Amino acid sequence: MDREAIKEKLQTIFRVVFDDNTIELSDAMTAEDVEEWDSLNHINLIVAVEKEFGIRFTTREVYAANTVGEFVDMLEACLRRQGKIT
Amino acid sequence: MLTHDAKHLEYAGLLREAKNLGDFKHDKTIKLALLGDVATQHLAMMIRALLAKHKIRAEIYEGDYGAAELEVLNTGSEFFKFGPDIIVILQSTHANRDRYYASPRSETFAEESVLRVEAVWEAIHQNSKALIIQGNVALPYERLFGQYDQHVPGSLSSCMMDFNQRLSSAARVAKNVRILDSEYLASYVGRKEWFDEKMWAVAKTLCAPKYLPLVAQSIVDITLSQEGRGVKCLILDLDNTLWGGVIGDDGVEGIVLGHGHPEGEAFQMFQRFLRALKNRGIVLTVCSKNDQETALKPFREHPEMVLKEEDIAVFVANWENKVDNIRYIREVLNLGFDSMLFLDDSSFERNLVRERLPGVIVPELPEDPVDFIKFLSELNLFETASFSEEDTHRADMYREEAARTSLQQEFSSIDEYLVSLKMHARAARFDEFHLPRITQLMLRSNQFNLTTRRYSQEACAEFMRDQMYHPFYATLSDKFGDYGLIGLAILEHKGERAVIDEWLMSCRVLSRGVEELMLNHAVATARAWGCAELIGEYIPTPKNAMVKEFYPKFGFELVSDTAGTTIWKLPLRDYQPAGVFIKIV
Repeated sequence: MDREAIKEKLQTIFRVVFDDNTIELSDAMTAEDVEEWDSLNHINLIVAVEKEFGIRFTTREVYAANTVGEFVDMLEACLRRQGKIT
Repeated sequence: MLTHDAKHLEYAGLLREAKNLGDFKHDKTIKLALLGDVATQHLAMMIRALLAKHKIRAEIYEGDYGAAELEVLNTGSEFFKFGPDIIVILQSTHANRDRYYASPRSETFAEESVLRVEAVWEAIHQNSKALIIQGNVALPYERLFGQYDQHVPGSLSSCMMDFNQRLSSAARVAKNVRILDSEYLASYVGRKEWFDEKMWAVAKTLCAPKYLPLVAQSIVDITLSQEGRGVKCLILDLDNTLWGGVIGDDGVEGIVLGHGHPEGEAFQMFQRFLRALKNRGIVLTVCSKNDQETALKPFREHPEMVLKEEDIAVFVANWENKVDNIRYIREVLNLGFDSMLFLDDSSFERNLVRERLPGVIVPELPEDPVDFIKFLSELNLFETASFSEEDTHRADMYREEAARTSLQQEFSSIDEYLVSLKMHARAARFDEFHLPRITQLMLRSNQFNLTTRRYSQEACAEFMRDQMYHPFYATLSDKFGDYGLIGLAILEHKGERAVIDEWLMSCRVLSRGVEELMLNHAVATARAWGCAELIGEYIPTPKNAMVKEFYPKFGFELVSDTAGTTIWKLPLRDYQPAGVFIKIV
């Protein structure tokens, strides 16, 4: 799974968690750009991403990313670290 | 209480349901306050979604994090203004652990903690009549002395266990307090799974988000029991539910029950569980497709049976469909369908009851009897709001009451049941072989007999040879046996009309579709003759009132009425054959 594929799968998860099928992820996107992206839904996002990708973020990672681009990078690193991709 | 299985207790799905609730039809609104040293937003949403399934709308007040004591001690607080019906107080292991480490004297930690909880209860009681649902703590996983923790009264695990025990004791004597048994949930799923340290760190969730639905469901279960909802009666199947095998085929010696068989011991354990439920006030009934005597045999004769005849308040064993039998049980016991729990190993029966009696609680049952109790435990079907001495006698009271009630049963015709009979029928012109039986039926039938003309065997033979007549009979068999020749009719060809000269049937097979089958046969014959209408006649006798309205029921129009003798006609052009569940052979 390359970065684009990760991003695509992540987009599906975003759409479900934030209940908005029009969401198009871009690297520059932040929580400000998604209406329902509050602290409560951020937890739901983490729970959903961990479940769908079969990984576990560290506590530091939960709030580490400032943009969607950073989130994808972090997710990719996590997937690699936990042996889901090579 | 979960009514089917635990599959919908899923984190994301429940939150989505809660978001999409909107306005929904509800019987009741309950005001619920959530207090505690944990985050409550997710729980609140799940409670809303779960209560909605029971047509209850929840208004939820969420207290500030960790501020339960402040809120209840301030009589002018928003909390009291809200006016809750139910107050949930959650206890996290994490916050308690912090308090434990901060406590100068660990030996008195549990006692002092419970005193503080009781002070909160007392403050609530002074200002509110609300029910308090008090959470206990899930036991932590770390041990400071290894297994020796158990020997040290002041160890972390000893203190938490002690806290829970003291909390239970306090709740037993307190007014209006119910324990939310978080520790049960945690140990059921396993502490390693239950605790999610990261989620505690970032969001202060009571447990791993995945298990929050279990907590929400437990709160809902107590709420429902407080509303008087709960299981009062069990309806039990017999074969492969209480024992292994089929009593009708295998006999008392052949069924699998008790020592010596791994499966037999599982059935016995299940029976012990059921008897314990009966002893705590749940009425046991039986609903089985069997002959009554056969079904009772294991109860009377099998040495390994735990349940005895006198444990069963209503014992229904027959070949009718279970929907009608459950209706009957409900009538005898005078209970609501929503307090009845149906346990049956057959998915066919479960689905039938779910479909026809939506109120009845019909959980799935695992394939393997060893898993019955574990599966049912997960659904928490037996939550109750109280337990008293009287409850221990309740099941017996119901049994005595049921014995007094007349055993009159009324069965409605049910399509599914008819299909399940796997009936086969044949309609054919009279033949030599069947003449004796035809004549016998002709002489004996009184009730279902439209003209009571009672032709002799010789006269029947005449009809058989005359091409202006179509005399025919019907035979029926089903999965239980062969009924033989059970109906006959004589049709006369009179130009444009086909006249039903005689029609009679054995009362044993009424309302199973044989009437429709014979009418369809008569219509087909009349059409083959080129007739435009079918004529029927009813001649009253002292015994045949049951068929007075027979023809109009099938769409015939009245032509004339002469002193009670009525003539009916059925125009054939638009007639649609009636549907039957009988296979024609």
